[in-house]
Amino acid sequence: MAANLICSILNKEDNLKVVDALLLALIGIVIVFVVLIALMLIVSLVGKIFDGSEKLKSKHPEWGEKISSFKSKLMFWKKKAPEEEARPTEEEERELATGTCGELTLVNCDERDAAMIMAIVADSLDTPLNELRFKSIKRVEK
Amino acid sequence: MNIGEILKNLWNGSGFHLFGGDSGWQSIVMIIVALFFLWLGIKKKFEPLLLVGIAFGMLLTNLPGSGMFHSEWWTVENIDYVDILRHGGLLDILYIGVKTGVYPCLIFMGVGAMTDFGPMLSRPSSLILGAAAQGGIYLVLILAAATGMFTGGEAASISIIAGADGPTAIFLTKTLAPQLLAPIAVAAYSYMALIPLLQPPFMKLLTTKKERMAVMTTSRKVSKKEKIIFPILVTIIVSLLLPSVAPLLGSLMFGNLLKECGVTERLSDTAQNALMNIVTLFLGISVGATAVGSVFLTTKTLLIIVLGLAGFVLATICGLLIGKLLYVISKGKINPLIGSAGVSAVPMAARVSNTVGLQYNKGNYLLMHAMGPNVAGVIGSAVAAGFLLAVFA
Repeated sequence: MAANLICSILNKEDNLKVVDALLLALIGIVIVFVVLIALMLIVSLVGKIFDGSEKLKSKHPEWGEKISSFKSKLMFWKKKAPEEEARPTEEEERELATGTCGELTLVNCDERDAAMIMAIVADSLDTPLNELRFKSIKRVEK
Repeated sequence: MNIGEILKNLWNGSGFHLFGGDSGWQSIVMIIVALFFLWLGIKKKFEPLLLVGIAFGMLLTNLPGSGMFHSEWWTVENIDYVDILRHGGLLDILYIGVKTGVYPCLIFMGVGAMTDFGPMLSRPSSLILGAAAQGGIYLVLILAAATGMFTGGEAASISIIAGADGPTAIFLTKTLAPQLLAPIAVAAYSYMALIPLLQPPFMKLLTTKKERMAVMTTSRKVSKKEKIIFPILVTIIVSLLLPSVAPLLGSLMFGNLLKECGVTERLSDTAQNALMNIVTLFLGISVGATAVGSVFLTTKTLLIIVLGLAGFVLATICGLLIGKLLYVISKGKINPLIGSAGVSAVPMAARVSNTVGLQYNKGNYLLMHAMGPNVAGVIGSAVAAGFLLAVFA
C-alpha cells in the first residue's frame, strides 16, 4: 500500500530527488524491519510451540502416549497399504541394522573410498565396523 | 578477384581492422578489464565460479565483428524474442535467461537448497541483524539521488548492490534499469568477492576488543518440523506482503524445502549441484556479455562502482551498529561481529565474522552464529528489492 502511494507521487522518468529518496528510504527500511520482525515473532512462536510440546512430553510421558494413541485412533479410517503393513517398524528396522552396515548411499564416491572411510571411522571410534551404521557417504567438492 | 583483393577483404573483415573504428579503443579497454578480471578469478581466486564466466563473457562481447551479443536489441521497449532466436548470437540467446529473470530465480533455488536456516531459527533475533544491514541499500539510494544523475529505477538498481546479493541485484536491475545491468552485476559480484578485504577494517574500527571477544553460547536445537514449516511460512507471508518478490523468495524457499523435507533428496542434489552449476555458467557469461565497451565506459559506470563500494561499507556499518546494540541488550551474549554478516553474501560474510572473532579469541568460533544474520540478510535484501520493485516497476 505504501509502495502504491509512493508510486503515485514519484515521476519515474525524472531523476530521483533527494527528498523523494529520503522518504523512500525511510518507508523502505521500516518495511524491511516490520517484515523481518514479524518473521522473527512467528519463528519464535513456532519454536516455543515445539519446545513446549517436547517439554510436556518429557514431563508427562503418559500424556505423550495418550496423544499418540489418540492420533492412531483418529487415523482408524486410513487402512494401511499392503506394502506399508509389510514394512518393518522403526524398532524392527533398528534391530535389522545391528551388526550390519545397513543401507548405504554413495554420492560421487566409489566403493573403494567408501570402504576406506568406514574403516577409518571404525578405527578412530574404536568400534567394530559391524556395530556401526552408515547412512550415506558423499564427496564434498572444495 | 586477385590475391591482394582477397587479403584486403580478409583484413577489412577482421577484428584487428575493426579495432580502428569509432568504439575500437573502448573495446580494447574492456578486453584489458576482462583480462584483469580473469587474473583476479584464476590467480587470486576471487569468486572464480562467477568472475571467470563474467570476464570471459566480457572478453567475447568486446571482440569486434564476433556478433555474439547485440546490446542494442535489449534496450528497446518491445523486445522481439523471435527475431533474437532467429538471428541472435550465442550470448544473445543465453541472455534471454537474464532478461526474463529466470537465471536469478534458479540460482536462488540452488542457494535455498544449500542453505541451512537452522542457525537463524535457533536464534530468531538474527533476523534483526539481517534487516539492519539493509540500511546500506537505502543510504545508497539517497546518495544516488544526491548525484542528480539517476532516475528512480536506476538509483534503486544501484542501491541494491549494497544488499550484497548478486541474483537479487540482477533480478531488480533487469526490470528497473536494464541498461545498467553490466556495471551493476560486475560491481555486485566483484565487491562480494572482496568482502574479506572490505569488512574487517570497519569491524575492528567499530567494535571494542572486549566486544570482539564475546563468546556466544549454543542456541536451542531446531527440530526438523520447524525447518520444514519455515520455508512454507516465509513464502506465504512475504509473498502476500510483497508479491513482486515472490519469484525470488519463492524459488529460495522451494530450494530449501527440497533440502529439508527429506523426501526429495535427488531434486535437492540437482538444485545444489547440476542446476546451480549450469545456471551459474550461463549467468556469468551472459552478464559479462552486457559489458560492451561503448555502453560500459561511461561516467555513470564509475559512479556505480563508487556507490556500490559505499553501499557495502554502509551495510556493514549498519549491521555492526545494531550488533553492538544487541550486545548491550543481551548483556554481552551476542558478539557484535556477527552483525556484519547481515549483508547477504552467503557464506563469505559469516566466514569473515568467524575469522575476525578468532583473531581475538582463539576458541571463539562464530561461524554458526553468524550464519543466522547471513541467511536473514538474504531474506532482508529480497524484501528490500520487493519494495523497490513495487515502487518503480
